[in-house]
Amino acid sequence: MSSNSQPQHKPRTPSLLLQANGPSQNDPPPTGAPTKSQKQMTKAERREVQERQRAAKAAKVTASGPQSGGPLAKPQHPSSSTSSQPKKTGRGSESPVQSRASTAAGSSGLPNKSTKESKAAAATAEEDAAVRSRGLRIFSHFALQKPTGHIAKGNVHPAIVRLGLMFAEFKICGANARCIATLSVFKRVIQDYTTPPNNTLSRHLMTHLSVQISHLVSARPMSVTMGNAIRQLKMEISGSDIDLPEQDAKDALCGKIDNYIRDRIIIADQVIQETAMRKIHDGDVVLTYARSSVVQKVLLEAWAGGTRFSVIVVDSRPMLEGKRLLSALVSAAIPCTYLLLPALGSVISEVSIVLIGAHSIHSNGAVFSRAGTALVAMMAKQHAIPVVVCCETYKFSEGVRLDSFTKNELAPSGDSFSCFPRNRSPASLIIQNQLNLEILNPLYDLTPPCSITAVVTEAGVIPPDSISSIPLALGRSV
Amino acid sequence: MDFEEPNARPVSHEFLAVVLAGFGDQLDPLTSDHGGDPCPKALLPVANRPMIDFPLTWLEQSGITEVLLICPTAHRTSISHHIHSDTSSSSYPSLHVDVQTYDESPDEPVGTCFVLKHFSSRIQRDFVILPCDFIPPEDLPLSLLLNKYRVESNWDGAIITSCWLKAHGVDKSTVPEEWGQMRSSVPILWDKKSGTLLHIDTADDYDRNSDELEIRMSLLSRYPVASLSSQYTDSHVYVCKRSILDVLHHKSMFDSFREEFLPWLCKIQYQNSRQGKYGLALKSMTTKEAHALALRHSTLFGGSTLAQDSSWRNYGSPSLKPVTFSVPSSPTRPDVEPLTGLKIGIVVHGSVFSGRVNNIATLLEVNRQVLSRTSYTPPTDPDNRALIDAKSQISSDSMIGSSTKIGERATIKCSVIGRHCVIGKMSRIAGCVLLDHCVIEDGAKLEGCILGRNTRVGPKAELVRSLTQAGYDVEAGGEFATIRNEKLEVSDWTAGPEGRGFGEMSSGDESDNE
Repeated sequence: MSSNSQPQHKPRTPSLLLQANGPSQNDPPPTGAPTKSQKQMTKAERREVQERQRAAKAAKVTASGPQSGGPLAKPQHPSSSTSSQPKKTGRGSESPVQSRASTAAGSSGLPNKSTKESKAAAATAEEDAAVRSRGLRIFSHFALQKPTGHIAKGNVHPAIVRLGLMFAEFKICGANARCIATLSVFKRVIQDYTTPPNNTLSRHLMTHLSVQISHLVSARPMSVTMGNAIRQLKMEISGSDIDLPEQDAKDALCGKIDNYIRDRIIIADQVIQETAMRKIHDGDVVLTYARSSVVQKVLLEAWAGGTRFSVIVVDSRPMLEGKRLLSALVSAAIPCTYLLLPALGSVISEVSIVLIGAHSIHSNGAVFSRAGTALVAMMAKQHAIPVVVCCETYKFSEGVRLDSFTKNELAPSGDSFSCFPRNRSPASLIIQNQLNLEILNPLYDLTPPCSITAVVTEAGVIPPDSISSIPLALGRSV
Repeated sequence: MDFEEPNARPVSHEFLAVVLAGFGDQLDPLTSDHGGDPCPKALLPVANRPMIDFPLTWLEQSGITEVLLICPTAHRTSISHHIHSDTSSSSYPSLHVDVQTYDESPDEPVGTCFVLKHFSSRIQRDFVILPCDFIPPEDLPLSLLLNKYRVESNWDGAIITSCWLKAHGVDKSTVPEEWGQMRSSVPILWDKKSGTLLHIDTADDYDRNSDELEIRMSLLSRYPVASLSSQYTDSHVYVCKRSILDVLHHKSMFDSFREEFLPWLCKIQYQNSRQGKYGLALKSMTTKEAHALALRHSTLFGGSTLAQDSSWRNYGSPSLKPVTFSVPSSPTRPDVEPLTGLKIGIVVHGSVFSGRVNNIATLLEVNRQVLSRTSYTPPTDPDNRALIDAKSQISSDSMIGSSTKIGERATIKCSVIGRHCVIGKMSRIAGCVLLDHCVIEDGAKLEGCILGRNTRVGPKAELVRSLTQAGYDVEAGGEFATIRNEKLEVSDWTAGPEGRGFGEMSSGDESDNE
């Protein structure tokens, strides 16, 4: 491919390298020639060119910022208009213009000494731009801007500030936990709230709560459970009677929140426990992945009910939540096996049932859960082992989710990636983001409905595809 | 017309800042009265900004708005005037400062604990204790400490979060011994992973046993991986829970917060007997129960490591031996009984800190540090500029206050000169700190001195490493020897016309410190 390239392309790439040394081409950008060269260069070469252009752009921004702001602005406009053509060619034509503009600005209006300085600055800035990590190349939308540094904007209740910090540091983690924590804190917020004059509780409280919610979202993206609970809460608020005195209205709202937690989470968990218990028989080997609060309750309840089974806990880094589940089960004297996800293949043939939890479940039956669940479910299905998802109905999300890439999060880093050498403390063995290394740990993944045998909810045991019929069956809107 | 009032009641503020302004005994001649007017330590300038400015701007930046400032009765008017005045240099627009006084005289200094007990009725929520002489390092925001406290008060039951900074290296010889020690670090024991302060070696412990550090086994069994260091000094910034004040009332013999109460509190973390006695008082039910249900559902909560779980010890079989060795440590170190624990948090910050500005040596050092960060430029204001003679040599690491008149051929090196000073011709000032309104006559030579307000130094006087009280009048030099290493104080009326050599002058250390 590169042999076909016309002779004018060859000097073109070196000229980009020479951009810091002086203007070599002052002619207007030939848009025809870059088009061909872009298409005919190999992917690697194109990426290389792109990198250099990006570095040059960064260098131009840092080095010649205040000095050549004026002359730079003008050449940028025509370049941006020409680059309205197909993106690739636009990128190719735009950056040579910019690099030439920077060198033109650097050499034209300034005495020699400052040109050298700006060139030197441009060179170091280029290096800096290359040295500075650019963040994740793929799935960069998983990462959230660092929120905990900022002071809360607006009238954020201190309890919400604390809750945001707990979320951001993953102290409260898990769909049920976050929902319960959010609702408990909202109770406090509502109790501390006073309606301003000339306003009604039902209208103003919503705006007040929206401020708090946006603070929580900036700490960590909202979970489906939180979203459903807040939607329910907003419905209750808008439906509250205007004539009620304020304290009564607030108490009524807090009561409704308590009922929600009790009905949709705690009692639902109890019903799920009883139903799922019946799926576990004596002598069974139950496999579970990471840690789900529901599954933990099911296992403990089943054991307390007299069934004698054993558990295999599959765990994965970096969160290692399975270790916590393991210690909870072991303290109840349940015989357990613990292994990491890559070792799943060696034990899967002994398993009789797989119990997993969910972050949320969607209308097409897909289950959004901790990263790694899809592997477990798929493997179990291959070995004809029933995969049972324990999930409350309030985790149901209306949308259809087909993949886990469009919306996901990054897991907190912090686990050491190697045990050896032993003479170094585990803290020093943690792999951090480095010059050429970006760590990507998605937090969630999607299990397709074909891998799931049944979903146990408080409304009964249903196949995954018929999740959407439950609200209708129960006479609810959510 | 409808006047929309904003939400009338603001969100209840989380923290109350308690700023303690003492007398400043160790800064003695500088803080003594200037002819009847007190010179409070809090208003002593560091790099031409009153000392109290630094913690107050630090508070502003972190978002705390309520401040309770406690000062001795004598200082009340001057401090309150400074804070509430409208001039732009000293107003803190978002702070609401409540100045309260405590009856105290310089002869009997009162410890922090007494002051806190006295004002405990005014403190109704979690509070931050700040000394007035704390100059925060630039890269340490107060919100760092506050966030740590916020998270830990729900997670571990933290009752105090303290901040320890790296002590300045011992720097001999530039200042006389009696001007005070810059570094006052104590050995501390803390757990790095969870940020828990475990043990502070107090002066009493040192007296009891100066060779060994005595630590309880219960501490070590709870925190087997602890770090011991003597390089850190206490910044005296504490974020505290309200319930501490209740415990403080029980312990009436404690005087100093830093030296007695805090080490005592550290011991509560692992001494079960004390936990039993004071645990209930310290735990506030609201913060725990608020998240108890949520935390029970949280996936990263609970489940101590296998080695620490006490129920493990019931199982003797070898297969149940702790397997933690081959398993890498989990990302969050599990907490022992997190719902019921008590914890003293610690934030250890690496930036070098020369200590609180409560003695002379630190005052000089902090001024020097600020000077090293700034560089001198002649004032742009033409009036000010006119006052500074072109022929004077001012080095770039000095700081000159506004409206200061500098005569010709004056040499100023590495010094801080206050406002409205008059520096005469041919004078040489090196490494000094001059407060406002000083008058240095022609030909005077000052080296390493600190001159209080309104000091007048006569012509051709020489002062080396001396301090003067505000309003002192140094006689002209000449046939008298240079004044070296002395604290010059204005004795009321016992000083005769001879001036020096009378009254309460204390001659300095004779050992050659050059």
